[in-house]
Amino acid sequence: MTDKQYQITLKLNGQTRSFEVEEGETLLHVLRERAGLTGAKKGCDLGECGACTVILDGRAVNSCCVFAVSADGKQVETIEGIGSEEHPHPLQQAFMDAGAIQCGFCTPGMIMAAKALLDRNPHPTREEVRQAMSGNLCRCTGYEKIEQAIAMAAEVVASYAEGKEGDRA
Amino acid sequence: MSEEKNYQIVNKEVPRLESWKKASGQAVYTDDIRLPNMAYAALVRSPYSRAKVLSIDVSEAEKVPGYLGCLLPEEVPQEFFNCSGNPPSPLLMKDEQVLTMEPKVLGDRIACVAAETEQAAREAADLVKVEYEELMPYLSISQAMNEKAEPLQPHIAQNDNIIEHRKVSQGDRAVGEAESDIILEDHFVTQPMQHATIELTSCVCDFSDGKHLTVYSTSQTVFQERRIMAEILGMKETDVRFSKPMVGGGFGARQQLHAQHVAALMSKKIGRPVNLSYTREEDLYSVVRHGSDVDLRIGASKDGKLKLFDTTFRLNAGPYTTHTPTVVAAASRKLQYNVPNYFFDGLSVYTDDITGGAFRGYGNTQLTFGREILMDRLAQALNMDPVEFRLMNHVQVGECFPCASIPVSSNGIEECARRCQAIQAEIDAKSPLVDNEDVRQAWGIAFSCHGSGPSNKDGLSGAVVMLNDDATVQLLVGSADIGQGSETMESQIAAECLGIPLSSVKITAADTLTTPYNTGTFGSSQTFICGNSVELACKDLKRKVLDQLKNIYPDSEVVEKEHSYQIHGSEDLELSFEEATRKIMFDLKGGVMIGAGTYKAAACPNPFAVCFVKAEYHKKLNAIRLLDIIEVADVGTPINRMTVAGQLEGGIAQGVGYALYERMEINPRSRRTQASDLLHYRIPQMDDMPQTYVDMVDSYDPYGPHGAKSVGELATVPVAPAIVNAVRHASGQELNSLPLCDKFIILPSRRKEEA
Repeated sequence: MTDKQYQITLKLNGQTRSFEVEEGETLLHVLRERAGLTGAKKGCDLGECGACTVILDGRAVNSCCVFAVSADGKQVETIEGIGSEEHPHPLQQAFMDAGAIQCGFCTPGMIMAAKALLDRNPHPTREEVRQAMSGNLCRCTGYEKIEQAIAMAAEVVASYAEGKEGDRA
Repeated sequence: MSEEKNYQIVNKEVPRLESWKKASGQAVYTDDIRLPNMAYAALVRSPYSRAKVLSIDVSEAEKVPGYLGCLLPEEVPQEFFNCSGNPPSPLLMKDEQVLTMEPKVLGDRIACVAAETEQAAREAADLVKVEYEELMPYLSISQAMNEKAEPLQPHIAQNDNIIEHRKVSQGDRAVGEAESDIILEDHFVTQPMQHATIELTSCVCDFSDGKHLTVYSTSQTVFQERRIMAEILGMKETDVRFSKPMVGGGFGARQQLHAQHVAALMSKKIGRPVNLSYTREEDLYSVVRHGSDVDLRIGASKDGKLKLFDTTFRLNAGPYTTHTPTVVAAASRKLQYNVPNYFFDGLSVYTDDITGGAFRGYGNTQLTFGREILMDRLAQALNMDPVEFRLMNHVQVGECFPCASIPVSSNGIEECARRCQAIQAEIDAKSPLVDNEDVRQAWGIAFSCHGSGPSNKDGLSGAVVMLNDDATVQLLVGSADIGQGSETMESQIAAECLGIPLSSVKITAADTLTTPYNTGTFGSSQTFICGNSVELACKDLKRKVLDQLKNIYPDSEVVEKEHSYQIHGSEDLELSFEEATRKIMFDLKGGVMIGAGTYKAAACPNPFAVCFVKAEYHKKLNAIRLLDIIEVADVGTPINRMTVAGQLEGGIAQGVGYALYERMEINPRSRRTQASDLLHYRIPQMDDMPQTYVDMVDSYDPYGPHGAKSVGELATVPVAPAIVNAVRHASGQELNSLPLCDKFIILPSRRKEEA
């Protein structure tokens, strides 16, 4: 690879952060090796498994397939930025409650892909959920509880959107 | 049957303890570990399945910026070993080396390169020039068993390529044939399947000082891996530590050493910690479920009684023994029907194909495939219902499986079948079976069983439970949670035994430095083997608490009742567990309470499952679609109902992939595997899955902790034959091999465009 370095600036989980990156470096590499955010996982490095999914300017992307230089100036949301233990994101809560987590390696990518879906479409049909999530592979669960968790979270997100007190499913 | 128990913590739906860490990205997996001064290693691997290395030239690799060093075959220990994470056994022939000059399969390790970054290490590894003399590989069992084939491991199999020939039998073949009014037979072939854990195989090894080795790795069997590593390196086990971080799935792929030995030796050589992680392509060809080639005959009298089961069962081991003879042995112990004349002839065969290893179902998957298809054909030939035919031949409590020595101790198979039928009726009431000129829908079924722990009763586990002064406990176990939920399940067992909340149990697991020995996470062991050791440790702790209270109150009678202590004597007291704990810790006659339990498998209770599949056949397209899959299991008392349901659902998904399209094979022309990534090695996606329904029947096993048996492997075993049986009824075609994409177009399960 080339030694050519570039400086990029990301709005990373709401904070402005700058990184020196190499020409061919991926966003996943920047997150894991430079930003210290190992929540996005490397399951293939080829854009096939979805474990590295993050949200880039509102869209779910495989961060292993995004050149870091092309993310310059953009907003990046990762699993580390969407909730805390005291105030988990409804998707995080629903994944825990529904038993949608087994080995957990696909979980951060699953949650981020689902968040991008719900951010855009708070009332997805089950079919839309399945299609939106089909780029995220899971080998443990058979997806049944992941689908349930997203449906549960969608109800909570929708109730937030309608300004009601969130009633956890 | 079921024992009335008023459980507080087991037999409930409990989210796993580490959920938040996993849901928030904080869970640390091997490749997330960053040690100071850590370097990265990459392997130079053979593109040939059978060759000789003539020369290795690292001069170009050395020029890569960040290059740190190279390990060559002559620099590493030369002794043969067996990487399998089983306890020592004469069945585990030693025939593998750390690095080799004689690669026997694509992907064999030739050399290793280290560099400052992973990218530089891979670049340098690609620049290592290896000159080979290419030899003709034997990729199939029949090629390798051909009398003209050269022996692939002459020090194990001098004249043929048979690693081990296992014969198990009872009865008389001639009597079985004579008493059978009908005998059906076929030749069944199953393909190598890859585990495709989403986490890539990875290790971080720190052997910087050359004296003490610490390994963090994707491991299911830390104690076996430590033992093998210590043997390879000529070290004491106390100087080798295996510590398991979070593991992103195992399914058997991590019941072995992978490349920790190379990474350790590289760490020693460069004096720095080393991360060695596989690419997806490396992972895909690292290990597979054995391909099988099975001749099977089953005979029955016209009243439906089985009289003969006769099989020649061949497994494609690849070029290294690893698990193969133990997989064959396990296959011989899974016949859940009463058959007086049983003949199992099992062959472990060397080839130059991808190395076969442990995979969820361990021998059971391959033999049950043909068995349940042939049972279906037999039921049809006898004009009997496929469920009733199986049930009337099924082994009952108190009876033994053919050639087994331990009687079945609990059996809910009939309830499983009835529950499946009830769900089937609900589905058919909503969507009656279609049979028109374009589409024909049909159901297919299969039964399965497994063991709880290794079927040879190798299972052994220790557990330690240490009482804190606030009545919380530290639980130490050696078993590895690889995503199946064993840490939560073991904590539940402890909390239930001690009568304390689940939140009062803090578990530490699978670290050879701090936790007691456990055979390992394989053979669906952890609920039964480790769970029993946890229960024994907790009972030991309670006995010690009681004894200590008797010391403190020498003139009183002390009795435990429902987790509190009644003291009758000069004073009458009732101490809660919390109060008793504080008293014990801080009294003048106080003590540190440590309970220890050790469980050596005295039994191996069989869990059972029944799977029903609804599929449809599109006549004009010669296409199939899966619609519904039901699986109901008898797992004894489900310790965690949420986890058990998850195991069943995940087992179904792996069965769907196995049945429909997953296959690993080498393409010698491209010098790669046919599928080298997850686009071409397709595992089921969310939208591929049919509707699934899972349930557990009320059951209790007298030997299990709180009545529990296993679930993990059981779950996936019946799925492929049930799918094939549904497809054979829908299509009218007899099928005897996998995957079904060889015969049919596979339609996505959930599209409703024709509905």
